[in-house]
Amino acid sequence: MSPSHHPSEHHLVEHAAGRLAPGQDLVVAAHVANCEICRAEVRLGETVGGALLDALPPEAMAPDALARALARIERPIPAAPPLPAGVTPADWVSFDSPAVDAAWRRRRWAAPGVWVAPVFRGPGRARTYLLRVAAGMAVPYHRHDGHELVTVLKGAYDDRGDLHRPGDFADNDDAVEHRPTVTGEDECVCLICADAPLVALDWVGKVFQPFVRI
Amino acid sequence: MYVRAMETTAPNFAVWRRPGAPARPRVVTVGPDLSALIVAIAERGDREAFASLFNHFAPRVKGYLTRLGTTPEAAEELAQETLLTVWRRAAAFDPARAAASTWIFAIARNLRIDLARRERRPLPGEQPAPEETPRPDAELEAAQDERRVAAALAALPAEQAQAVRLAFFSDKPHAQIALDLSLPLGTVKSRIRLAMARLRILLEEAG
Repeated sequence: MSPSHHPSEHHLVEHAAGRLAPGQDLVVAAHVANCEICRAEVRLGETVGGALLDALPPEAMAPDALARALARIERPIPAAPPLPAGVTPADWVSFDSPAVDAAWRRRRWAAPGVWVAPVFRGPGRARTYLLRVAAGMAVPYHRHDGHELVTVLKGAYDDRGDLHRPGDFADNDDAVEHRPTVTGEDECVCLICADAPLVALDWVGKVFQPFVRI
Repeated sequence: MYVRAMETTAPNFAVWRRPGAPARPRVVTVGPDLSALIVAIAERGDREAFASLFNHFAPRVKGYLTRLGTTPEAAEELAQETLLTVWRRAAAFDPARAAASTWIFAIARNLRIDLARRERRPLPGEQPAPEETPRPDAELEAAQDERRVAAALAALPAEQAQAVRLAFFSDKPHAQIALDLSLPLGTVKSRIRLAMARLRILLEEAG
């Protein structure tokens, strides 16, 4: 089933242009890898990028640049370190990222039913991480300083009556106060990039946040 | 509608210019010739084709990267890496899926992001591309798309063209771009949105 919640055009253009911070780029990429509609939009952006690249005034390379390149292509291709085989579980949406694979291996239980796996730190207070919440559980009531980008990798959650399924994307800004709840029989795993740690709005969150550290 | 002109830095390429274009012509390179160079590399390790591609794209890739805030030294090295990747991965280039400039832009972009992330991502062709519906005339269309996009970019209202160029080739967040242009952020975003909508409509009409 194709996703029903998509990134804004702004995020897709920024992704195609390569201007997103690594964490945000990763969350958008996870959606795009599973959404034909957004892939077409990114391709348009890449075509625009190519056309703009082609029209850029050239910037002089070093005088020996071509000679160096011609010498380099004669050398045998160094064996690229093999890409690790997809280590994340097969029932997640298809998205190959060494950073996510490495994070998954580092996952740690943060609360009953909840594990967190940091992917990237920064810039600044931004954090990118995988969050797993067991079936039937809710993330304590909270809001965000800045934006939080989310792509569902497995399972589903309900956010204020809106169902987010595998591949779905969400952009929660600082106007959002919510208590996302995992629906269905299955755990829910999301890839998340937040500009800043979430702000707990109830006592449960305030108690657990020091352990969860998101 | 178009007149043929030659670009001084890359005399082997046919370039196209709109009549009455400004003194510094917005040159638009024809897709198939550049694509054919990559195919020549893939099929017979054509070093002349590589040199032509290098002369055309390496200085532009360097310009793209320095605009995004990469130091000139790092940009020079990444431009080398980009063209080296083109040589090594030429067999993965599919002229039916993308124009040469689109492919090379994506390679340069990914190498730059990888450097920022310090992680190795799949090289072109290392991962199976998602299934797309192939069409017999797709190769021609990919090249035409690029030409249409280039022509449409040239025809955009100046303020939209500027916004799109900054959206791709600036290291500043949109908020800073808006400040620099003395415009509300919403105006910058809506100009980019309008420009992309126009490009999309144009491609859909033509496709």
